[in-house]
Amino acid sequence: MQHIVEGIIVVNTETIAGKVITQNLGVVGGSTVRAKHLGKDIFAGLKNVVGGELKAYTELLEESRGEALGRMVADAMARGANAVVNVRFATSAVTAGAAELFAYGTAVKIE
Amino acid sequence: MVDASVIIWGPLLLIAGLFAIFGILWAIGYPLLFLWSALFSENNLDKRILKLKQREAATLSGLKRDPLSTLRGEYRAEAAESGLVYASIVFGPSHWHLMIGWLGNLVGGRIDILHKVVATARAEAQQRLREQALADGWEEVLNVRLDTAEMTPASRQKGIRAVEVFAYGTGVRYG
Repeated sequence: MQHIVEGIIVVNTETIAGKVITQNLGVVGGSTVRAKHLGKDIFAGLKNVVGGELKAYTELLEESRGEALGRMVADAMARGANAVVNVRFATSAVTAGAAELFAYGTAVKIE
Repeated sequence: MVDASVIIWGPLLLIAGLFAIFGILWAIGYPLLFLWSALFSENNLDKRILKLKQREAATLSGLKRDPLSTLRGEYRAEAAESGLVYASIVFGPSHWHLMIGWLGNLVGGRIDILHKVVATARAEAQQRLREQALADGWEEVLNVRLDTAEMTPASRQKGIRAVEVFAYGTGVRYG
Protein backbone atom coordinates (compact mmCIF):
# COMPACT_ATOMS: atom_id res chain seq x y z
CA MET A 1 0.00 0.00 0.00
CA GLN A 2 1.16 3.51 -0.81
CA HIS A 3 0.88 5.97 2.07
CA ILE A 4 2.00 9.60 2.21
CA VAL A 5 3.97 8.96 5.41
CA GLU A 6 4.36 5.50 6.93
CA GLY A 7 2.34 5.05 10.10
CA ILE A 8 -0.11 7.89 9.46
CA ILE A 9 -3.46 7.14 7.84
CA VAL A 10 -4.83 9.96 5.69
CA VAL A 11 -8.39 9.67 4.37
CA ASN A 12 -11.10 11.99 3.12
CA THR A 13 -13.92 10.10 4.84
CA GLU A 14 -15.17 11.14 8.29
CA THR A 15 -14.38 7.78 9.83
CA ILE A 16 -11.84 5.09 9.07
CA ALA A 17 -13.35 1.68 8.36
CA GLY A 18 -12.34 -0.87 10.97
CA LYS A 19 -10.86 1.76 13.35
CA VAL A 20 -12.26 3.78 16.26
CA ILE A 21 -11.44 7.46 16.72
CA THR A 22 -10.55 8.08 20.36
CA GLN A 23 -9.33 11.67 20.41
CA ASN A 24 -9.82 14.80 18.32
CA LEU A 25 -6.65 16.90 18.03
CA GLY A 26 -8.05 19.74 15.93
CA VAL A 27 -7.72 21.06 12.38
CA VAL A 28 -4.32 20.69 10.72
CA GLY A 29 -3.31 22.12 7.38
CA GLY A 30 -0.43 22.68 5.03
CA SER A 31 -0.03 24.94 2.04
CA THR A 32 2.53 25.86 -0.58
CA VAL A 33 2.94 28.29 -3.47
CA ARG A 34 4.97 27.03 -6.41
CA ALA A 35 5.71 28.10 -9.97
CA LYS A 36 7.41 26.66 -13.03
CA HIS A 37 10.32 28.45 -14.67
CA LEU A 38 9.73 30.94 -17.52
CA GLY A 39 10.65 28.49 -20.27
CA LYS A 40 7.93 26.04 -19.23
CA ASP A 41 5.43 28.92 -18.92
CA ILE A 42 6.20 30.03 -22.48
CA PHE A 43 5.93 26.47 -23.78
CA ALA A 44 2.60 26.01 -21.96
CA GLY A 45 1.39 29.25 -23.56
CA LEU A 46 2.22 27.84 -27.01
CA LYS A 47 0.67 24.46 -26.20
CA ASN A 48 -2.49 26.26 -25.07
CA VAL A 49 -3.02 27.62 -28.61
CA VAL A 50 -3.28 24.11 -30.06
CA GLY A 51 -5.18 22.74 -27.06
CA GLY A 52 -4.81 19.56 -25.05
CA GLU A 53 -3.09 18.68 -21.83
CA LEU A 54 -0.60 21.16 -20.33
CA LYS A 55 1.80 18.64 -18.79
CA ALA A 56 4.01 21.26 -17.11
CA TYR A 57 1.05 22.52 -15.09
CA THR A 58 -0.28 19.05 -14.31
CA GLU A 59 3.19 18.32 -12.90
CA LEU A 60 3.29 21.63 -11.01
CA LEU A 61 -0.01 20.98 -9.27
CA GLU A 62 0.87 17.37 -8.52
CA GLU A 63 4.16 18.40 -6.86
CA SER A 64 2.49 21.21 -4.93
CA ARG A 65 -0.24 18.91 -3.65
CA GLY A 66 2.31 16.39 -2.46
CA GLU A 67 4.16 19.14 -0.61
CA ALA A 68 0.99 20.59 0.96
CA LEU A 69 -0.07 17.12 2.10
CA GLY A 70 3.41 16.47 3.52
CA ARG A 71 3.22 19.68 5.56
CA MET A 72 -0.26 18.81 6.79
CA VAL A 73 0.93 15.38 7.92
CA ALA A 74 3.96 16.96 9.66
CA ASP A 75 1.58 19.28 11.52
CA ALA A 76 -0.55 16.29 12.57
CA MET A 77 2.51 14.34 13.74
CA ALA A 78 3.64 17.32 15.83
CA ARG A 79 0.31 17.09 17.64
CA GLY A 80 0.81 13.41 18.30
CA ALA A 81 -1.88 12.20 15.92
CA ASN A 82 -1.76 8.88 14.09
CA ALA A 83 -4.39 9.71 11.46
CA VAL A 84 -5.90 12.64 9.55
CA VAL A 85 -9.56 12.33 8.55
CA ASN A 86 -11.91 14.32 6.30
CA VAL A 87 -9.09 15.84 4.23
CA ARG A 88 -10.06 18.57 1.75
CA PHE A 89 -8.20 20.61 -0.82
CA ALA A 90 -8.41 24.24 -1.88
CA THR A 91 -6.70 25.87 -4.85
CA SER A 92 -6.17 29.52 -5.68
CA ALA A 93 -4.23 31.20 -8.46
CA VAL A 94 -2.17 33.89 -6.75
CA THR A 95 -0.76 35.18 -10.03
CA ALA A 96 -0.48 33.82 -13.57
CA GLY A 97 1.61 30.65 -13.52
CA ALA A 98 1.80 30.30 -9.73
CA ALA A 99 -0.63 28.20 -7.75
CA GLU A 100 -1.38 28.08 -4.06
CA LEU A 101 -2.45 24.67 -2.85
CA PHE A 102 -3.95 24.10 0.56
CA ALA A 103 -4.72 20.76 2.18
CA TYR A 104 -6.53 20.54 5.49
CA GLY A 105 -8.16 17.95 7.68
CA THR A 106 -8.79 16.86 11.25
CA ALA A 107 -5.96 15.24 13.19
CA VAL A 108 -7.20 12.36 15.32
CA LYS A 109 -5.97 9.46 17.41
CA ILE A 110 -7.30 6.06 16.38
CA GLU A 111 -7.27 2.58 17.81
CA MET B 1 38.17 51.69 -19.96
CA VAL B 2 34.49 50.87 -20.45
CA ASP B 3 32.18 53.84 -20.47
CA ALA B 4 29.83 53.93 -17.43
CA SER B 5 26.79 54.44 -19.64
CA VAL B 6 27.46 51.11 -21.40
CA ILE B 7 27.27 49.26 -18.07
CA ILE B 8 23.92 50.91 -17.28
CA TRP B 9 22.28 50.81 -20.72
CA GLY B 10 23.81 47.58 -22.02
CA PRO B 11 21.72 45.13 -19.98
CA LEU B 12 18.54 47.19 -20.49
CA LEU B 13 19.03 47.21 -24.26
CA LEU B 14 19.70 43.47 -24.18
CA ILE B 15 16.43 42.81 -22.35
CA ALA B 16 14.53 45.14 -24.71
CA GLY B 17 16.08 43.32 -27.67
CA LEU B 18 15.03 39.92 -26.34
CA PHE B 19 11.47 41.18 -25.86
CA ALA B 20 11.45 42.55 -29.41
CA ILE B 21 12.72 39.25 -30.85
CA PHE B 22 10.13 37.30 -28.87
CA GLY B 23 7.38 39.68 -30.06
CA ILE B 24 8.36 39.23 -33.70
CA LEU B 25 8.53 35.43 -33.37
CA TRP B 26 5.12 35.42 -31.68
CA ALA B 27 3.62 37.61 -34.43
CA ILE B 28 4.83 35.14 -37.08
CA GLY B 29 4.29 31.98 -35.06
CA TYR B 30 0.85 32.63 -33.64
CA PRO B 31 -1.10 32.57 -36.94
CA LEU B 32 0.71 29.35 -37.89
CA LEU B 33 -0.13 27.74 -34.54
CA PHE B 34 -3.73 28.93 -34.87
CA LEU B 35 -3.95 27.40 -38.34
CA TRP B 36 -2.48 24.18 -36.95
CA SER B 37 -5.10 24.14 -34.19
CA ALA B 38 -7.91 24.82 -36.69
CA LEU B 39 -6.76 21.86 -38.82
CA PHE B 40 -5.88 19.29 -36.17
CA SER B 41 -7.24 20.10 -32.69
CA GLU B 42 -10.69 18.58 -33.32
CA ASN B 43 -9.08 15.39 -34.61
CA ASN B 44 -6.57 15.24 -31.73
CA LEU B 45 -9.37 15.61 -29.18
CA ASP B 46 -11.33 12.76 -30.79
CA LYS B 47 -8.22 10.56 -30.79
CA ARG B 48 -7.68 11.27 -27.10
CA ILE B 49 -11.31 10.40 -26.29
CA LEU B 50 -10.98 7.13 -28.22
CA LYS B 51 -7.78 6.16 -26.33
CA LEU B 52 -9.41 7.09 -23.02
CA LYS B 53 -12.43 4.86 -23.79
CA GLN B 54 -10.04 1.96 -24.46
CA ARG B 55 -8.22 2.48 -21.15
CA GLU B 56 -11.53 2.70 -19.29
CA ALA B 57 -12.77 -0.49 -20.93
CA ALA B 58 -9.51 -2.27 -20.01
CA THR B 59 -9.82 -1.28 -16.32
CA LEU B 60 -13.51 -2.10 -16.08
CA SER B 61 -13.25 -5.45 -17.83
CA GLY B 62 -10.33 -6.42 -15.58
CA LEU B 63 -12.25 -5.65 -12.39
CA LYS B 64 -15.82 -6.35 -13.62
CA ARG B 65 -16.90 -3.14 -11.80
CA ASP B 66 -16.00 0.52 -11.38
CA PRO B 67 -13.63 0.95 -8.40
CA LEU B 68 -14.70 4.57 -7.89
CA SER B 69 -17.74 5.58 -5.87
CA THR B 70 -18.99 8.52 -3.84
CA LEU B 71 -20.17 6.27 -1.00
CA ARG B 72 -18.93 7.04 2.48
CA GLY B 73 -16.55 4.77 4.31
CA GLU B 74 -19.15 3.24 6.63
CA TYR B 75 -20.88 1.02 4.11
CA ARG B 76 -18.39 -1.81 4.61
CA ALA B 77 -16.81 -1.99 8.06
CA GLU B 78 -14.31 -4.82 7.55
CA ALA B 79 -11.67 -2.84 5.63
CA ALA B 80 -8.09 -3.83 6.43
CA GLU B 81 -6.38 -0.62 5.35
CA SER B 82 -7.24 2.79 3.93
CA GLY B 83 -5.43 5.84 2.59
CA LEU B 84 -5.69 8.86 0.33
CA VAL B 85 -5.43 8.55 -3.48
CA TYR B 86 -5.38 11.46 -5.89
CA ALA B 87 -4.86 12.26 -9.57
CA SER B 88 -5.15 15.40 -11.66
CA ILE B 89 -4.96 16.90 -15.13
CA VAL B 90 -4.68 20.39 -16.57
CA PHE B 91 -6.51 20.42 -19.89
CA GLY B 92 -7.38 23.28 -22.20
CA PRO B 93 -9.35 23.93 -25.37
CA SER B 94 -7.39 25.12 -28.42
CA HIS B 95 -7.78 28.71 -29.55
CA TRP B 96 -9.80 27.39 -32.50
CA HIS B 97 -12.23 25.74 -30.05
CA LEU B 98 -12.38 28.99 -28.08
CA MET B 99 -13.25 30.89 -31.25
CA ILE B 100 -16.06 28.45 -32.09
CA GLY B 101 -17.20 28.73 -28.48
CA TRP B 102 -17.21 32.51 -28.74
CA LEU B 103 -19.34 32.33 -31.91
CA GLY B 104 -21.71 29.95 -30.13
CA ASN B 105 -21.85 32.41 -27.26
CA LEU B 106 -23.27 35.07 -29.61
CA VAL B 107 -26.10 32.77 -30.71
CA GLY B 108 -26.64 31.32 -27.25
CA GLY B 109 -27.71 27.82 -26.28
CA ARG B 110 -25.54 24.74 -26.00
CA ILE B 111 -21.80 25.06 -26.73
CA ASP B 112 -20.94 21.46 -27.48
CA ILE B 113 -17.25 21.86 -28.25
CA LEU B 114 -16.32 23.41 -24.88
CA HIS B 115 -18.48 20.84 -23.09
CA LYS B 116 -16.56 18.10 -24.90
CA VAL B 117 -13.20 19.52 -23.71
CA VAL B 118 -14.21 19.78 -20.06
CA ALA B 119 -15.97 16.39 -20.09
CA THR B 120 -12.80 14.80 -21.52
CA ALA B 121 -10.68 16.41 -18.80
CA ARG B 122 -13.00 15.05 -16.11
CA ALA B 123 -13.12 11.55 -17.57
CA GLU B 124 -9.31 11.55 -17.88
CA ALA B 125 -8.87 12.60 -14.23
CA GLN B 126 -11.20 9.80 -13.11
CA GLN B 127 -9.38 7.24 -15.24
CA ARG B 128 -6.03 8.37 -13.79
CA LEU B 129 -7.49 8.00 -10.30
CA ARG B 130 -8.54 4.42 -11.14
CA GLU B 131 -5.09 3.61 -12.49
CA GLN B 132 -3.33 5.27 -9.54
CA ALA B 133 -5.52 3.41 -7.04
CA LEU B 134 -4.87 0.04 -8.67
CA ALA B 135 -1.13 0.77 -8.91
CA ASP B 136 -1.06 1.61 -5.18
CA GLY B 137 -2.84 -1.63 -4.34
CA TRP B 138 -6.30 -0.35 -3.35
CA GLU B 139 -9.37 -2.41 -4.25
CA GLU B 140 -11.89 0.41 -4.17
CA VAL B 141 -11.94 4.22 -3.88
CA LEU B 142 -14.66 5.68 -1.66
CA ASN B 143 -15.92 9.23 -1.20
CA VAL B 144 -14.54 10.37 -4.56
CA ARG B 145 -14.58 14.14 -5.10
CA LEU B 146 -13.96 15.96 -8.36
CA ASP B 147 -12.70 19.51 -7.97
CA THR B 148 -12.52 21.78 -11.01
CA ALA B 149 -10.50 25.00 -10.97
CA GLU B 150 -9.66 27.49 -13.71
CA MET B 151 -5.99 28.19 -14.38
CA THR B 152 -6.84 31.84 -15.20
CA PRO B 153 -9.92 33.54 -13.73
CA ALA B 154 -12.64 33.99 -16.41
CA SER B 155 -12.70 37.74 -15.69
CA ARG B 156 -9.16 38.13 -17.02
CA GLN B 157 -8.72 38.81 -20.73
CA LYS B 158 -5.32 37.17 -21.20
CA GLY B 159 -3.64 34.08 -19.87
CA ILE B 160 -3.71 30.30 -20.08
CA ARG B 161 -7.19 29.00 -20.85
CA ALA B 162 -7.41 25.67 -19.13
CA VAL B 163 -9.28 23.81 -16.42
CA GLU B 164 -7.64 21.80 -13.72
CA VAL B 165 -9.54 18.72 -12.64
CA PHE B 166 -8.45 17.14 -9.39
CA ALA B 167 -9.92 13.79 -8.38
CA TYR B 168 -9.36 12.34 -4.94
CA GLY B 169 -10.81 9.76 -2.64
CA THR B 170 -10.10 7.21 0.05
CA GLY B 171 -8.54 3.99 -1.18
CA VAL B 172 -9.68 0.88 0.67
CA ARG B 173 -8.30 -2.65 0.80
CA TYR B 174 -10.54 -5.38 2.20
CA GLY B 175 -9.58 -8.52 4.07
